Amino acid sequence: MTSSSQKLIFWTLVGISIITLSMPTIIVLGASVTSGNIIAFPPDGFSLKWYEKIAMARELRLALWRSLIVSTVCVIVSLPVGTVAGIALTRYRLKFVNLINIYLLLPFTVPLIGSGIGMMLVFGEWGILGNVWPVGVACAVINLPFVIWSVSSSAAALDRDLELAAENCGAGRMETFWYVTLPAVMPGVITGGLLMFVLAMTEFLVSLLLTDARTVTLPVQIYNNIRSIITPDLAAISVVFVVIALIAVWLLDRLVGLEIFLKSK
Amino acid sequence: MFMSDLQLDSASRAERSVAVSVRGVTMDFGSGSPAVKDASFDVETGSFLTILGPSGSGKTTLLRMIAGFQKPTQGTITIAGKPVDADPPNRRSIGMVFQKLALFPHMTAAENVAFPLKMRRTNPAEISGKVEKFLNLVKLDGYAERRPHELSGGQQQRVAIARALVFEPELLLLDEPLAALDRKLREEMQLEFRRIQKELGVTTINVTHDQREALVVSDDIIVMDQGLIQQHDRPVGLYRAPNNLFVASFIGVSTFIDGTLTADGLKVGDLLLPGSATPEATLGAPARGAVRAEQLRIGAGPEALAGCEIEMDGKVEDVIFEGERLIYVVGCERAPDIKFQIYHHDPHSFDIFEIGSPVRIGWHGKDMKIFNHDA
Ligand SMILES: Nc1ncnc2c1ncn2[C@@H]1O[C@H](COP(=O)(O)OP(=O)(O)OP(=O)(O)O)[C@@H](O)[C@H]1O
Ligand SMILES: [Mg+2]
Repeated sequence: MTSSSQKLIFWTLVGISIITLSMPTIIVLGASVTSGNIIAFPPDGFSLKWYEKIAMARELRLALWRSLIVSTVCVIVSLPVGTVAGIALTRYRLKFVNLINIYLLLPFTVPLIGSGIGMMLVFGEWGILGNVWPVGVACAVINLPFVIWSVSSSAAALDRDLELAAENCGAGRMETFWYVTLPAVMPGVITGGLLMFVLAMTEFLVSLLLTDARTVTLPVQIYNNIRSIITPDLAAISVVFVVIALIAVWLLDRLVGLEIFLKSK
Repeated sequence: MFMSDLQLDSASRAERSVAVSVRGVTMDFGSGSPAVKDASFDVETGSFLTILGPSGSGKTTLLRMIAGFQKPTQGTITIAGKPVDADPPNRRSIGMVFQKLALFPHMTAAENVAFPLKMRRTNPAEISGKVEKFLNLVKLDGYAERRPHELSGGQQQRVAIARALVFEPELLLLDEPLAALDRKLREEMQLEFRRIQKELGVTTINVTHDQREALVVSDDIIVMDQGLIQQHDRPVGLYRAPNNLFVASFIGVSTFIDGTLTADGLKVGDLLLPGSATPEATLGAPARGAVRAEQLRIGAGPEALAGCEIEMDGKVEDVIFEGERLIYVVGCERAPDIKFQIYHHDPHSFDIFEIGSPVRIGWHGKDMKIFNHDA
């Protein structure tokens, strides 16, 4: 095979993959700028009126705002816990490490609906249902393994001698953690944090169980809208979601580009 | 200079002050035999001690116990007169250069060097002065703002040594920090370590498995094998008078001859080879003689071997060219199992003897050391 035909095949495959992967996004993007009144692709003319409509829709704006609160609460709750747990699981010889690792897999074996109902009961018992923040706490609990894994993968790559070197330089345990261990696992912490933010932003099932009419989050609000009628404004909301995810990825790239500095050599 | 070093008797050495004292230290990880067994030695203040031994001999374990990263199963370590067994690593005044350097990758060279001072709550003005002084000492002015990955291997070494010394510790520990460097840079850094150590007069314990490095840089050498200290001596003493077979074979190039020890020397078949037996060697027991490659003589005929008590005919079987020196491998009919390794002696020409040429070899009886050897 000549190199030029190899190239042709290579780029054709790359092209096909890119198109299939981005197809849903492209269709949604197209549908969201239609000037017609029904969701359609290719769009029927061009207009931004559906974006205007969602921007004006009070219940959507409030739902987006609640989702942002949920995501923020989720990150604030999960990050410190997940970071410490992720480091502890890899750096220190804990008893029952395997047991803990299996326990961390539980959220993926217990269906979400199960843990969602569980939390609904517990939160109901505590009388905190009807608030927005418990949804964030719930998201933190169910998605915690993601932060732990992302931090542990950074921590596993950390040279144990770095911490010994810090102690040798006169650093106590807290100082070693603060000045050496934490900066070294920062890429994992940032990745985990952004992941938690996006996951909480899009979490549907648990939100559905834990919210009522006053506390609906964005995914639940969209679901409610679909049940009535599918209009192009839903495509516009989807685009907003895609943009939020893109911002997260962009931030990740900007921040974890720091990783080069954090790896020696 | 060497002779006067040699003549320093034990009494005058004892008068000097002791910086580090290791007494009966054992480390048992509980897997097979202990990594370090009953190690006892002193390090004089301001001196450079090298722990030399093959891989797995317990060198790093010993160093880590001194640094405080591992608690000895038994024994006591004293630094500057105070037992430190209860002190955590950050309370011991010890600078350490790690095998893989362990520079903090997210900090610049200057921040790395400043770290020990920052941990000691030194005031910022003093920190910046000292950082500058020590970067200058290791010849790294102008590299202060670089991160470790932006520095060459040799420059990273220099940062590591500056970080280990900046807080003026009682003791400097070096765990084979040069092992990863290429030979030329390694030899340059050996002399550099020695220069800095002399300049600051800091007591140093260095670990290596490179016998050349040990001989070149040290005031004292401890040879370790299988967790046991085999010999503790000055470099010249160690080279001239090895205690046992392990030390004799680990340092330098020697030819070994197996036989039985008699009152007149080593009996090998019908040959009787004169030599000097170590005190431990027992008469009538299996023994092994060792002659260093530079003490064996080689010539075309007997005239080159003036004064040798032992002479025999042989044939050059191989010629090994190592650049600055050349080694002949010679086989002799009278001692068929032995391959004699002999340094070439003529500094003005190489290659007088081709492979296959007949030669005569010999040595002085006193140059052969005879050791106990459990065959
Ligand atoms: N943490 C540990 N747990 C169990 N055994 C250990 C531990 N550390 C070292 N050992 C064992 O102790 C022995 C000595 O190891 P050590 O690292 O001190 O050798 P070394 O002389 O430094 O070797 P090298 O030149 O290869 O670095 C080895 O047999 C090693 O397997
Ligand atoms: Mg070692």
